[in-house]
This record gives sequence, C-alpha cells and structure tokens, in this order.
Amino acid sequence: MTAPANTRLPSRRYALGVGMAGEGVKYFRFWIAAAVLVSFLGPLAISRFNDIELSTWFYTANVAKWFTAFVGGGFVYALVPNMIAAGLTRRELSVSMGVFGAMWSLVLGACAVAGIAIERFYYDAMGWSQGIDADGAIAPIGSWGDTLAFAAVYPLLYLVYFAAGCVIGAASYRWESSGWLLLVPILPIVFSLDNALYDTEPFGPGWMGFLGRYMDEWGRGVVLAGIVLVALVLAAGAHRILIDIPLRSKKA
Amino acid sequence: MSFTVNLRDVTLKYGDADALADVDLTLEAGKIYGLLGRNGAGKTSLLSLIAAFRKPTSGAVLVGGEPVWENAPIVSRVALIREGGDFDDSDTVKATIETGQIRPDFDLDYALKLADKFELSLKKKVRELSRGKRSVLAAVCGLAARAELTMFDEVHLGMDAPTRDAFYKELLAEYMDRQHTVVLSTHLIDEVANYLEEVVIVDRGRILRHEDVETFQGMGATLTGPADAVDAVAAGLDVLAEQRLGATKSVTVSARPDAATRERAANAGIEIGPVGLQDLFIHLTEPGKNGA
Repeated sequence: MTAPANTRLPSRRYALGVGMAGEGVKYFRFWIAAAVLVSFLGPLAISRFNDIELSTWFYTANVAKWFTAFVGGGFVYALVPNMIAAGLTRRELSVSMGVFGAMWSLVLGACAVAGIAIERFYYDAMGWSQGIDADGAIAPIGSWGDTLAFAAVYPLLYLVYFAAGCVIGAASYRWESSGWLLLVPILPIVFSLDNALYDTEPFGPGWMGFLGRYMDEWGRGVVLAGIVLVALVLAAGAHRILIDIPLRSKKA
Repeated sequence: MSFTVNLRDVTLKYGDADALADVDLTLEAGKIYGLLGRNGAGKTSLLSLIAAFRKPTSGAVLVGGEPVWENAPIVSRVALIREGGDFDDSDTVKATIETGQIRPDFDLDYALKLADKFELSLKKKVRELSRGKRSVLAAVCGLAARAELTMFDEVHLGMDAPTRDAFYKELLAEYMDRQHTVVLSTHLIDEVANYLEEVVIVDRGRILRHEDVETFQGMGATLTGPADAVDAVAAGLDVLAEQRLGATKSVTVSARPDAATRERAANAGIEIGPVGLQDLFIHLTEPGKNGA
C-alpha cells in the first residue's frame, strides 16, 4: 500500500484510512467494473431467452457484502506487520482501519443505492420487473420510495460486514492456528441480522442464518438497531485484538 | 537528536518459556552497537521489544527516555528491519518503498537513489524478488527511514559479499552524515567488527557482556609467529583458536599475556595482536561457560 506523502504525525492515522480506501478501490477496480458490467449486461443477454423478473443488482450488492468482509479481514491481516514495522502504533492502525471501513462502506453503499436506482430506470425502460426472491416467491421491490428504502441500508450492512472481517482478520493474525474460529460466532449473527432485515433468503450459505428464527417478530427498527449494536461491538472487538497485538517472529 | 535505549528488569515469556529474563541494558545515543548471540539466544526478542513489536511480560522499555510502547512520536523514529523485511508481498517495490513515508523523516529521494544503486527493479512485485534482493529492499527501507534508532536484524542474509560491503559502507556514510543510534545484529561478526563501537552479547535470554570493542579486544590476544615458538609461549594459556600456514602459526588466547610472556614472545619473534571478536564470542558463549 502506498502511504500518502508528507504524512504529519498527529493526523497520519486519518490520512492513512482515507488512503487505504482509495487504494482498496484502485486495487479492485477491475473486479468492480466487471461486476457492474455483468449486472447490467447479464439481464440483457438472458432476456433473449427468458423473462426478467429478478433484480441482478440485488445479487451484486449482496456479493459485495462478502467482498467487503474479505477486504476488511484481508487488509488488516496484511497491514498489521506492514504498518507496525513502518512505525505506526496499533492505536493509529485501529483508527485508520475505522476510517477505511467507514469510507469503504459509504462509497460502496452509495454505489449500491445508485446501482439499484439505475437498474430501476433500466428495467422500466426494458419493460422488466425488478423483483427479489422473497422466501421462494418472486416479489417486486415496489415503488420508488420502497426501492430507495430497500437500498438505503446497504452502507450500514457493508459496515457490519467490514467490521466482522476485521475481527476475523486481526484474530487470524494474532492467533495463527485458531483465530479464524471466530467465524463461528460472528458470521451467523451478522448473516441472521441481514436475513431479518430483508426478510428474504440472503446470498450465501442459508444454514448460517439459523438465528433468524428468533428475529422473525422483530420490527425493522429493532433489526437496524441490532445491526448498529453488532457493528459497534465488532469494531470494539477488532480494536481490542489489535491494541496489544504482537508481531509474529519471522520464519526462516 | 538520536535515541538512547534503557531496558529495566525486562522479562519476555513465550508461554512458560523465558525468551529474555531480567534484562537491564543501556545503550547510549549516537553509537553503533553490535548485538551478538547464538541462535535462539534472544537477540531478535530483545530488538522486538525495543521497537515495540512486542510488549514485555514485565519491566520497562524506554527509548529516548520515554516508554516506547504505543508512543507514536517515538516508534515513528525507530526502525527495526528484520530479515526479509515486513512487507506486503503483493506490493511492488516502489509501493513498498513509498509506504515508508508514514514515517515523518523518511527520505523518498534517498530511498529511490539507493534502489537504483542496488539495482532494485521498482516495478517488480516483492514476491518476485530473490532472497538477496528482498534483503536489499529491507536495507534500503531501513536506511531511508532516517530514524533516530535503526536496528538491522540479520538483514544481510541472502546478500552476496559485494552487496554486503556496499550496504555496510552506505550504513557508515549515513551514520557519519547524521548522528543516530545503530544496532547491528549479525552472525557475520568479523565482517562488521570494524564498524562497531560497542558490543552486546546475549546468551540464553540474558545480557552476557556489554563492553566497548577495545575492552573485548583486550580480553585476549592473538600470538602469531614461528609455530614452535608460538606453541612454547601459549603453553599453559587458554587457547580459543589456532591456525597454521606452513611454519607460521596463529593462536588466540583468552587472557592478555603478562609482561614476562610478552617479552618472551617478542624475543621469539612472535607478534601479539588483539583478539578476534568472533573467537572471543565463541569462547564466551560456549556451553558450560559463564561468560566471565
């Protein structure tokens, strides 16, 4: 990762966080471009043989959640030795990752909202139905207001997936052979909350949403509050793991 | 400004095992130190504590008079370069060098100049570098950090002899240009001996000896001359090492010869020189010795 030039000590943690977000987008720019192309050209190709009733962007935006978890975990795993050896404190790295996560989630969330709005124009123009697979039945997303409300939570979802990735990435570095086991409690919680928010089958392994059965009666506000709370707990957890993390010995 | 280092009663445990035990050490600012020790003696652990790569189990580590742990103004001016560097292998050499800019005093122009001098391809990915070139990249990042305390831990591994020589010369030039504290941890003792002002020997997790180079060299002597005469003078002395080339023999002894022995040696055509640091190190850290 390229560090911003002329970094000043008191503010370098913020500059680095912003720099990481920029580097992340730059690093994955071709993947992102490919996902956008497939999302918009795919239905066009399929429409020659089938009716289009499902939002492709819904799937793209869902894949982006897992991608975001991977980015959070992968970056923190790589940056712990890299940045601490370059003279950064753990606290600074933790703040940088927080800034990175917030920016990444906002930017990707804005893309998700823009994508679903553009897709609506696109589908309307083509005479297709922009629906989602809701528990086995295809349901249209609804009015423009429903569409925007549907998409508006993406930044928050990306944030909670990013935080989950960071905890697992930091734990995997810290506890080399067993840190990844934190996947077991974290992913079902995040996945079930995601499931409960949309009341659909989210993209991914369905069994991981088993906690959803306890959230069936929760209102959208409660689920959203739950996601905010889990994101905060995960961010605090990642900070705790990072704050006294030792650098591993070099292997011959 | 260059940094002092103070370790007070420092212990570092890995699980139940002591990597370092009750270490007290003071390094003055602005000197070049050699850190010597056998494999597993605790050299890397010691450097890791000084650079805040690890937290001690107990005790205090002060750099520049302040606790080093999570101290941004200090750690940003301390560079510990470990063998092969702590790099992201997917980065290019150029991006890796530019990462150094998170240090306030990092000199990018100097780093790029060194990369050119050591023939490092900026476009290559770190993972594509040979072991030697990776070591060169680590050395370049360490030198260009312009840190107040720079520590190289076996960074020369993989470098060929001309590259090592160029690295030592560059290190010395940088030191002469800008006073700072340098620690060189190495097994190539004789290769760096001429650059060192003080030597710290670590053995089994403890500081065995910490002296200036002259004191170490005064702890013994090398007798060189006709083989028979050398054998006669060295008889009864503790011989650390010996070499023979034809009729000439060189013997390293662990004690400085007294006046009578020196006179006898001179009369027999034997030259008395300082003890080699490596021979002394081997002697001091021999299993069963207590370093006295």
